[in-house]
Amino acid sequence: MTAKTAKTTMTNDPITLEIIQNSLQSAADEMFAAMKKTAMSSIIYEVLDMGTGITDAKGEIACSGAGIPAFVGVLDKAVTVIVEKFAAPGAVEPGDVFVTNDPYYGGVTHLNDIVVVMPVFAEGRIIAWTANIAHNSDVGGMAPGSLTGEATEIFQEGLRLPAVKMIARGEPIQPVLEIITVNSRMPDVLEGDVWAAIASVRIGTARLEEIAEKYGAATFEQAMAAFMDYGERVSRTELAKLPRGTFALTEEQDDGQLFNVSITIGEDEFVVDLRDNPDQASGPVNTSRDGVMVAAQMIFKSLTDPYSPCNAGSFRPIRLLTREGSVFHAKEPAPVGFYYEIDLRAYDVMWRCLAQHMPERLAAGHFASVCGTFIGGIHPDTGRQYTIIEPQLGGWGGREGIDGNNAMFCGFHGETFNCPAEINEARNGLYVDQMALNLEPGGEGAFTGGRGIVMDYRVRADDGYLTVGYTRSKHPAWALDGGNEGSPNYVEFIPREGERQRFAFVSGLKTRKDDVIRVVTGNGGGFGDPGRREPERVRRDVSNGLISAERAREVYGVTIDSDDGRTA
Amino acid sequence: MARTIRVATDVGGTFTDLLVFETDEATGEASVRTAKTDTTSPRYEEGVFDVMAKAGVAADAVGFLAHGTTVVINALTERTGVSVGLVTTEGFRDTLEIARGNRPDFFNLHYEKPEPFVPRRLRRELPGRMDYHGNELRPLDLAPLPGIVADFRAEGVEAVAICFLHAYANPAHEQAALATLERLWPEVSAISSHQITREWREYERTSTTVLSAYVQPVAERYLQRLDAGLAARDFAGGLYIMQSNCGVDSVDTVSRVPITMVESGPASGVWGAAELGRLIGEPNVLALDIGGTTAKCSLIEDARVRIKTDYWIGRTRASAGYPIMVPVVDLVEIGNGGGSIAWVDDYGKLRVGPRSAGAVPGPAAYGRGGTEATTTDANLWLGRINRDYFCGGEVEADMDAVEKAIEAVGARLGVDADEAARGIVRIANNNMVNALKLVSVNRGFDPRDFTLIAFGGGGAMHAAALAQELGVAKVVVPADASVFSAWGMMMSDLRRDDVLTLLVDLNAENADAIEAAFGETEERARARFAAEGIEASAVTLARFGRFRYQNQEHTTEVPLEGGPVTADRIAAIEAAFHETYEREYTYRLAAPVEMVGLHVVARVEIGKLAMTRRTATGRPAGEAQKGVRTVDYALEGLREAAIYDGAGLEPGMAFAGPAIVEDSGTTVVVHPGSRAEVDGFGNIHIHIANRAERQ
Repeated sequence: MTAKTAKTTMTNDPITLEIIQNSLQSAADEMFAAMKKTAMSSIIYEVLDMGTGITDAKGEIACSGAGIPAFVGVLDKAVTVIVEKFAAPGAVEPGDVFVTNDPYYGGVTHLNDIVVVMPVFAEGRIIAWTANIAHNSDVGGMAPGSLTGEATEIFQEGLRLPAVKMIARGEPIQPVLEIITVNSRMPDVLEGDVWAAIASVRIGTARLEEIAEKYGAATFEQAMAAFMDYGERVSRTELAKLPRGTFALTEEQDDGQLFNVSITIGEDEFVVDLRDNPDQASGPVNTSRDGVMVAAQMIFKSLTDPYSPCNAGSFRPIRLLTREGSVFHAKEPAPVGFYYEIDLRAYDVMWRCLAQHMPERLAAGHFASVCGTFIGGIHPDTGRQYTIIEPQLGGWGGREGIDGNNAMFCGFHGETFNCPAEINEARNGLYVDQMALNLEPGGEGAFTGGRGIVMDYRVRADDGYLTVGYTRSKHPAWALDGGNEGSPNYVEFIPREGERQRFAFVSGLKTRKDDVIRVVTGNGGGFGDPGRREPERVRRDVSNGLISAERAREVYGVTIDSDDGRTA
Repeated sequence: MARTIRVATDVGGTFTDLLVFETDEATGEASVRTAKTDTTSPRYEEGVFDVMAKAGVAADAVGFLAHGTTVVINALTERTGVSVGLVTTEGFRDTLEIARGNRPDFFNLHYEKPEPFVPRRLRRELPGRMDYHGNELRPLDLAPLPGIVADFRAEGVEAVAICFLHAYANPAHEQAALATLERLWPEVSAISSHQITREWREYERTSTTVLSAYVQPVAERYLQRLDAGLAARDFAGGLYIMQSNCGVDSVDTVSRVPITMVESGPASGVWGAAELGRLIGEPNVLALDIGGTTAKCSLIEDARVRIKTDYWIGRTRASAGYPIMVPVVDLVEIGNGGGSIAWVDDYGKLRVGPRSAGAVPGPAAYGRGGTEATTTDANLWLGRINRDYFCGGEVEADMDAVEKAIEAVGARLGVDADEAARGIVRIANNNMVNALKLVSVNRGFDPRDFTLIAFGGGGAMHAAALAQELGVAKVVVPADASVFSAWGMMMSDLRRDDVLTLLVDLNAENADAIEAAFGETEERARARFAAEGIEASAVTLARFGRFRYQNQEHTTEVPLEGGPVTADRIAAIEAAFHETYEREYTYRLAAPVEMVGLHVVARVEIGKLAMTRRTATGRPAGEAQKGVRTVDYALEGLREAAIYDGAGLEPGMAFAGPAIVEDSGTTVVVHPGSRAEVDGFGNIHIHIANRAERQ
């Protein structure tokens, strides 16, 4: 026993602590890689709508695997709920795996996102948790893909898993797994994805146990605590460099509601006040308080130090004020299917509120919608059901000296990949007729907003469906410093027979063979007066066919003798 | 008189290396020489002729010349290729610019997307469409092509890339467009996607084709100058160019698709490790190559290198980079070499790399004005590198500069110089351990089942510490470790990898279709060799299948040995997939299995070097010992280490750690408790002490 006692001694060696911290990051990355490679839903393996994380014994996030920033601060909330729920001695044992997907039980997001959590034991106690979150293609509920604008209660959005044990001491609790799979319209895919998540947390746990074995549990815990303190030090140092004051903004939404935010930047606090906002909606456009906390954490991290490691310490200066029963702090059983658009609205309104006061840190607005597009039907070549769940690319805002990026995923995404047309056509029963930059006007400025996209899906068989929920469809990306606002996000539905329709929200629209679903995403907001744009940049835009010579003259006052871009 | 002279030349960023083996074919006895000159950018071939002259190699006496060059990767990273025009499918002009939409640096709201290699005005479309089975949906319309060619000419385009949707499944439209283009514009350099890859994912394939076109004229001219220069020197032997797939190929073939050279430097080192492993009976190898700015590692299982086709250039945590879908050896590269700079961030954390001091100013010890501490400086400070024999005695180590640089790091950390130097070495080692884990543990392999072969200027300095950390039992430092990549090149076969996307359910009914696809791919490979005068009997073929569970995306590659794919072999193939999958991911599923692609490796032996084992003279290692010095082993502290002269070591000599071997190009660090011995080829085998033996 002496060896063990010796091991629990803390170390004073900062290099050892750092080596443990680096190993935590590589464990989180390894968990991520395992999930990505084994998942069955394209939204996981291509879109990477997933994240991995490691928390300390209490559930404070220590380290995350790369995926999307919106999932970095999600996993700690689930762990915290499990820690509270299974607090009795012996309630958590080595090899156990827990599962939640319910925002009212630490799931933060919506029922499609299944969170899997596993304890890490060393020297007989829990020293950490590994966790994984991923979007599953179908978890039951009233509509295929589980997401629908028609839902008025969370019960209609799928199976609820309220932080329960799924594997006990390494042995699957078969009834729980069977309940999970039987509730899905795509049971095989769901089962595959859940096992991929289990493999991911198991790999992480094994890795952390090796580290703790080598350095001792106390040193391991000390390294985690020191890592969070480091995160906090970075945040506080950078926070002190931001302009102090209280900044407020009111913004009208596509549905006419007004969202209000007030942000106070103090000496050592970053206070986001979202209390003065509408009551929760009857439809699924609500979010949990945890959800807007993640949005606040993202903005804060981007404003302070986007490059350093991100953990619970990084977020300590944030104080969030919400009102229970509002869209930003929904009460059970409010539906939350499209929570991400609401979180994104909170994120964008915070961004916009601060950008005017610190344009060197924040660019003009981007298309700022996930533009979640759900298409399903029967693949005519295989006879199998297919389901597409895709976010879309769009334009980002300009800033001083730099035009905005074309065709990137929105700020909630990160290492997310779009689906290649060649794979889309093989896997799903449709053709992709075009995938092009959006040439609509919008986003002009001294530095232009980037371009959104135009993508045509042509459906190959009858009896399909389409569901979308886009925001920034009436009020496009906002501009800064005299630039022009961007262009809207929308879908144009071009049926083979009948009238064209344009919309941003639709649920379960029936589709037939040769109908075209045209996704159009917005250009980002422009920065600076268009009259200030360098003529050389205007000429390049004309020669690249992004704007006509005529518009170059109208908007920028630059005369070009032909569309080839050769200047007069 | 039957002497064969084999030469390998490796053009690197700073130096052009040469290795000569002169073998007496009757006795097998060989003499070895190495030489080094400065790389002569942009006329790299001059450096090759220089280094041959310096080594006294007469071109007319050389039977076999293997050549590796960075000309392709340099043209890409320095953006010195040519102006490219792209012709693509209607509706997909912007694919190259849209890319995949990812943002690896995701909290950074000022991320800048990589600029496409072809501006929008030079990306043009043709109507015509295939589906994913390769069936034509709409015929190709070539009518716009003359107008496109006229525009391209007017814009000064020098190379044209053609990439159509689903050309991997049916290249007919690309072939037709290419033929017409070559008729309309015979002098332009042109390439279409199916000539490089037959895999799906249109952005990756377009990017590959564009980057290939971008470097093609540059690489082609370079290879022509090299070939002509050698011919002018009466060279009559075989000239072979190193590829990224660990093989070599002929100048003609490489000139047509030069992008395959993109990672040839690292590939030759990995191949060297595989060949050395075979030679010394170690089929399972972790290859580690530590140079001045980076460390590269790769895993070799059962003497097989892993070849992948998802390679990217310029891909970092801060940039999405550019994909190149060609067969490249599977390796992980990190910004951690001898010249990597140690720094303390604003919040007191010690870091090493990825920024490097490069050749100028280089580490502080070079005395060329470098003020920042590098890994090399820390190794000098700890006595691991001999300050009186720095760079093989060619450079006088500026220890004052080293002291200042390391003390500056220590001051920021609040520790003394010794502690700071130990910290630098430990952090550098930790970075490399994590890279080695990525190629082993992350892929389901236990490093304890592998032997670590360490080379490059810095490999031997760190290998033993890394091995201890990973539980590896043995480290092998090859003879002439600093020019080991050139040796790997000399050991290469002519090798071509064909990868084809083929989506079918893995079941008995599809066995014939799978066999047919393998058969056609193999036949194409044989026919290409036949056209170059190589008989079918000389070609060795190996098959691999790429499989996944239905609905998954990423595939697992499984070797398919044992003859044709038949209905009754399907079960065995499926079982092999389940097994490989489970090892990598900890579980298996009962789900149906799909085949997504096939991979055929065609190899031809071209008279590579046969190594001869020398016998031990029986002299003790003590005869090679130069002295004793105090060395700081970081974790094991200060020890009196025996110092050996690498040039004096002979087969059969053995000694124990703590010890240091000093060679002209490298320093071998042997930790306390470990034992070292020299084998019949001059390689040093270090048997790593386990944790208890080190106390």
